[in-house]
Order: sequence, then C-alpha cells, then structure tokens
Amino acid sequence: MSDLQPAPTVQGSVSRRRFLKVTGGAVAGSSLLTMLDARQAPAQLRGTTLRILTWSHFIPAYDVWFDKFSAEWGEKNGVKVRVDHIPHLEIPARMAAEFAAGAGHDIILNNSTILARLYYKTLLDLTDVYDGLGKKYGGWIPAAKSPIEVEGRIYGIPMYYILLPMLWRKDLFEANGLKPPDTWELARVAARTLKPKGSPTGMAFSHCNDANLNWRSLMFSFGATETDASGDHPTIDSKEMREALRFAKALFDEGMTPEVFSWDDASDNRFLASGIASWIHDAISAYRTTESTNPPVFKNTFVGMEPAGPGGKRVSVSAPIVFLAWKFGKNPQATKEYLAHLVDNDKEGMIQSTGYNMPFLNDSAKKPMPIIGADPKLQVLQDFPKIVAFFGYPGPYTPQIQEVALQFVLPDIFTRVARGTSVDDAVKWGVGEYRRIFAKHKRA
Amino acid sequence: MTVLGDGAGSTTRAATQPAARGRSTRAWWHTNTGRRLTFGYLLLAPAALYVLLLVGIPFLFSLYLALSDASVGDQVSRFVGLGNFRAAWEMDTFRDALRNSIVFLVVAAIFKSVLGTSLAFLLLQNFKGKKLVRALVVIPFTLPITVSVLSWKWMYDSQFSVINWFLHKAGLIGGYGSESWPIWLGQPHLALLACIGVNVWRSFPFSAIVLLAGFTSVPTEVLDAARVDGCSFFQRFRHIVTPMIFPILIIGFLFDTVFTLSDLSVVYVLTQGGPGSATMILPMLAYQIGIQAGSLGRGSAIALMLVPLLFPALFLMLRNLKRRD
Repeated sequence: MSDLQPAPTVQGSVSRRRFLKVTGGAVAGSSLLTMLDARQAPAQLRGTTLRILTWSHFIPAYDVWFDKFSAEWGEKNGVKVRVDHIPHLEIPARMAAEFAAGAGHDIILNNSTILARLYYKTLLDLTDVYDGLGKKYGGWIPAAKSPIEVEGRIYGIPMYYILLPMLWRKDLFEANGLKPPDTWELARVAARTLKPKGSPTGMAFSHCNDANLNWRSLMFSFGATETDASGDHPTIDSKEMREALRFAKALFDEGMTPEVFSWDDASDNRFLASGIASWIHDAISAYRTTESTNPPVFKNTFVGMEPAGPGGKRVSVSAPIVFLAWKFGKNPQATKEYLAHLVDNDKEGMIQSTGYNMPFLNDSAKKPMPIIGADPKLQVLQDFPKIVAFFGYPGPYTPQIQEVALQFVLPDIFTRVARGTSVDDAVKWGVGEYRRIFAKHKRA
Repeated sequence: MTVLGDGAGSTTRAATQPAARGRSTRAWWHTNTGRRLTFGYLLLAPAALYVLLLVGIPFLFSLYLALSDASVGDQVSRFVGLGNFRAAWEMDTFRDALRNSIVFLVVAAIFKSVLGTSLAFLLLQNFKGKKLVRALVVIPFTLPITVSVLSWKWMYDSQFSVINWFLHKAGLIGGYGSESWPIWLGQPHLALLACIGVNVWRSFPFSAIVLLAGFTSVPTEVLDAARVDGCSFFQRFRHIVTPMIFPILIIGFLFDTVFTLSDLSVVYVLTQGGPGSATMILPMLAYQIGIQAGSLGRGSAIALMLVPLLFPALFLMLRNLKRRD
C-alpha cells in the first residue's frame, strides 16, 4: 500500500526522524554542557536523595563546613542530602554490611583503608568524573591513581591526603647545637643527644595507623620497597630494608623510651604537647593542637621536610582519603555531580581544614597553597606532593597490601627488631606473613 | 458402645457407626492431647524461632563461609573444604591468638570467681548504704563498653597514667621515664594483664549478682541447722551452699565463658592486638581478617575455632548439671 511507504524526501531537506535526532542530541548535549559548567543538576535530580557516609574529621570545623556545603549543594539542586559521620575505623565494617544488604549510602568515604580494589565490581565507575577533573585542573599528582584504579578504570575520587612531616623543637635543637632534622641520620643524632637531657623522640612501634605510615616512610627513604611495580610480589627482603631496620633499632635504643610500644595515633600528639618530645613524625594536627594546649611548644615547634635516607631519597607515606560510590546507589547522577562539585571546591576544603587536607590535583597543589602557603612554618608542606606515596610503594595499593597494613605486619617487623629479635629473623618472619597473605589473595 | 450380634444389634451398630466414623475422622488437633500439644508448641515457638533465626542460621551461614573463599567484595564464592582452617592454623598470629584466648579466659575466670564471690558475700551483709553499694557495683556492667574501655585507656596511658601516678606517689615506682615506670599497654605481659583487668572489672559484678541470687535462694533454716550442728563458715559454704546453688553457678559460668571468649571490644579499643601479637585474641583476629581485610571465609574459620574450645566445656557442664538434677 502506497501510503505505508516512506514519503520521498527532497535532496537536502530534513526528515522528521532526522530532525528529532539532531535537535534532541543537540539539546541533550547542550544541557549536559550547561549543567557541567554551571554545576546545576538537571531536572531529573530534583526531589531525589543523596546519602553520604563520611568520617569524623580530626579538624571538627571541617565537618561543620562539609555538612553545610553538602546541604547547600542539595538545596541548590533540589536534592535532599543526608551526611552521616562515623569514626573512620568503622567504615570497613559498614561497607561490608551495605554490600551484603545491597543498599545503603550512595557515597562512602575511605580513609587510609581504601577498599576500591576489594569492592570494585559493585562500585560505580567514576572514570569520566576523574578524567574530567584531571583535565580541568592540570592532572592529578602521580600517587593519586594507586588506590582507586582497577583494570584501567577508576572507582573512586581522591579528595585529599594527610601528610606526616617532621615536627621538631627548634629551641631544643638550637640550644644543643643540632642541625634541623633534614635527614634521618640528623634526626637520630638529635634524638641521641636530647634523650639524656629529658627530651626523647618517639615513633609508634604498635598497632596503629601512624606506625604503618611512619615506618614505611623511613624504609622507602632508605631505598627499600614493599612490592614490585605490579603489586603482585612483596619485595621487603632486601639490603635496604635490613639497613632501615638496623637504623630503627639504633633510633629506638638511643633516642626513645619503651612507651612507644603502647602508642596509639594520638599518643605522639600528647607527647609533643607535653613539651617532652624533641621531635615526632606526625600529621600537623599534633602541631595545631599545641597552639591552644601549650603555646610555648607551639611557638618553638617547626615543621620539616620528610627526612632523606642515606642515598638522599625522600618518600612521604601519607594517608589517602577518597570517596567511593556504590553501583547499587539510587542516585548515580547526583553522586557524580556532587563529587565533581566537591573537588571544584577543594581549596575551600583545605582552608576549612586549616591546611590539613592536601590536594590531589596539580593546580590545587601549586604554590602558594591556601593556609600553608601563607604560614612560614608550614610552607615546606607545599614541597611534599612530588614525594607522596601510599602503602605498597612502588606498586599499587592492593587488597593484599591492605591486609598487610590491617594486620600491622610491617610495624611488627620493626617492633621485633626494636625488642631484640635479629634483623634476619624479623625479616624472615615478615616475609612469611607477606607471602601468606599474598598467596591467599592470589588464590582468590 | 457397639453390640456384637445380629438383629437389634445390627441396628445399634448401624446407628453407632456414623458416630464412630465421626470420632475417627476428627482432626487430631481437636483431641485433648492434640490441643495440649498444639498449645505447648505454640508457647515454645517464639523461643524456637528465635534460636533458629538468630543462632542457628547465622551459625550455619558462618560454617558455609568458613568452607568457602568468600570475600566481602565478591558475591560468588567457591568451596575450599578445610583450606581456611588449615591456613589459619599455619599463621603464627593465629596460634598466639588461640593461646592468648585461653589464658584470657582462665585468668579472667579465676579473678571473677574470687572477686564475684567476695562481693556477693559482702552484699549479703547488712550495713548502712547497702542499697547504694548494690547500685554502684553494677555500674561497670551497665556502662557502654566503649566509654568504659576508653577511660581505662587513659588510665593506662604511657605518660599520663593515673595508676602510675598513684604508684609513684606511694613510692612503689620511679617517675615517668624511669626503668620501673610501667608501660601498661606496651609491655607484652602487662598488656595482656591490662586487658584481662578491664574484662574482670566489667564482668565481676555480673558474677556477684548471679551468686547473690543463688545465696539468697538458700533457705536460712538449713544454714541455721548447720550452724547449730557446729559447721564452720567454709564447711557451710562447701557442703551446703555450693551444692544447692550449683545449677545457678553453672549457668553463670556458661554465660561468663561465652562473654569472655567472644569479647572483642576491650582488646580492640586498648591495643588492637598489640604490641606484636601479645594481646591478639581470636575474635579480634577474626574481625581484622574477616571484616576489615574482607576475607570472610578465613575470618569465619578463625571465629569458628572458638567452637571446639567452647563445645567440650559446655557439654561437660550441661551433662554435670543434668546428672545433678
């Protein structure tokens, strides 16, 4: 029947179907561009809910800002935003529960324990957001991808990382003719000199995150490595590792007291604030808190670059903070929009955290950085982005390394040596633990 | 009643048959026995359902996990037989955790028995302010565990320990930084003792209350008669009180054993299993590996290792209890 045949079109004219396709595409494309440019959510986001699970930040003012910032974004976009804060150590258990239930928050923060590689099959692929932000802000610092990349895809948005620099007492160093602790050797000399005068040093030899971070910084600066580039093989059995262990033993014997075996993450803060410590290797929150608790200590405490190892190498192992999003989350579009908006405002976040949050994006890491760029004592922190590394260095941050860290295997190797086990025996024990954990993950 | 025979008898039989059929076809639950049984089972059902849903199914599920390579990030798991148990046994840390769990249980039980009994006897006496004391002693047991353990963490602090301050003021130890200054959570044996101490502090009021309930149930006439017969305090305690309250003791002991062996919070908040593996116990290790590191299979296997520890003890105690009944 002739009326069922498509109507002949004149060359150069536009059919109705083609018109709809082209105009529809153009409208959708321009809407997306406008939306991304204005950070204004499309109409379909309105009336939806976004649930965010985050930690209780060490700087409480940051949480106040974060909650307000999230609520304002929600109001602007017609999205009901709910933010829940829990201690960061409880996040893995909460994630396990939400995974099992297949329901929960849309966005979950991970602090230090980054679970992207464990859950990636159920996580939202955020490669587009990551790449878009990278292009917009001059790329990400080299370490950024390590905890969140799986099989070439990105399953998290790095928000910030927490540095653990040297915090040293300039008054005590100068009074004793000591040089600033720019190398681990100088730090050891200072500890050896100041301990008999009632000012020992301290680095946790215990089951806490500081111990995981600090001893890795030391061993990597000594040239030791944790895994190979693939992340599949542990590499701690090395000459450099033994050297680092011997150094740690000497540092403990000469410059510390046995209390370091009992320390938690806040103990070195108190140690500095008490006015006893000659130096500690910790986040700047330790320095900040002395401002109100012990002003003379605050005045005399200076922040130093990561000490160099014997070969001049500096590696600063930091605690990464990233946001992950469930694939089963009810609001993937709002999730992406919100995360992009949050990263757009990471400079404000850094200000609100009083310089505690270090940015992952190159443009944000340019000098002068907010807060720390204006504070002469903290300016040195701006030189850290190029030496930042995470667990597993130089390999990626894998679930097996995660388990090694959660079981505190590396601090236990250092603890054994400090307590008198021979370096070879401690390394042998540690290698056994690493291999056992790696073998289990390989089988899985 | 049916009458055997013909004639009138057959009429009677014909008349009674429907009635008999009616009785035989009546549903069993309409019978007295049926009704009684149904009512009984209905009363039991909530408890049975509770045990099945909240104990049986989770137990079977953890058994299933322990025999698989289940991980938190993967919905698919494969059967690995006893591989997880074997692998756990090969871990140095597991063996340390097993040893520590047993030491923890036994030492804590001894202290709780002694302190609980003493406190129960104390609370039996009449003295001024008895009600207040009774209320105060249960505070450790009623406080949220994290709050109370955090307080202890402060008391055990390496620098600001109030315990050390008192010991120092009493001239028993040197000052901060001296050799004799105890590092409660940093020295392996002290750290385990410190964890046990907190567990005992939290739980011995429970033991005392259980014992107190038992003591008050012993008829005073029996004790008076024994006293008249010349029995000393210890003789009365050993030959009269203990046998009479034995079932209560066993139940209290069972509860305490389970609570102590499965107590994760004290170690988690105080030491995270450290220093080294000096305070690592099985629940802590199972949590670290199963939940934090995501290896559900391995974690479940470690947690289930508590069963062989608990089961023989429970079996023996319950059998003893039954015999005495």
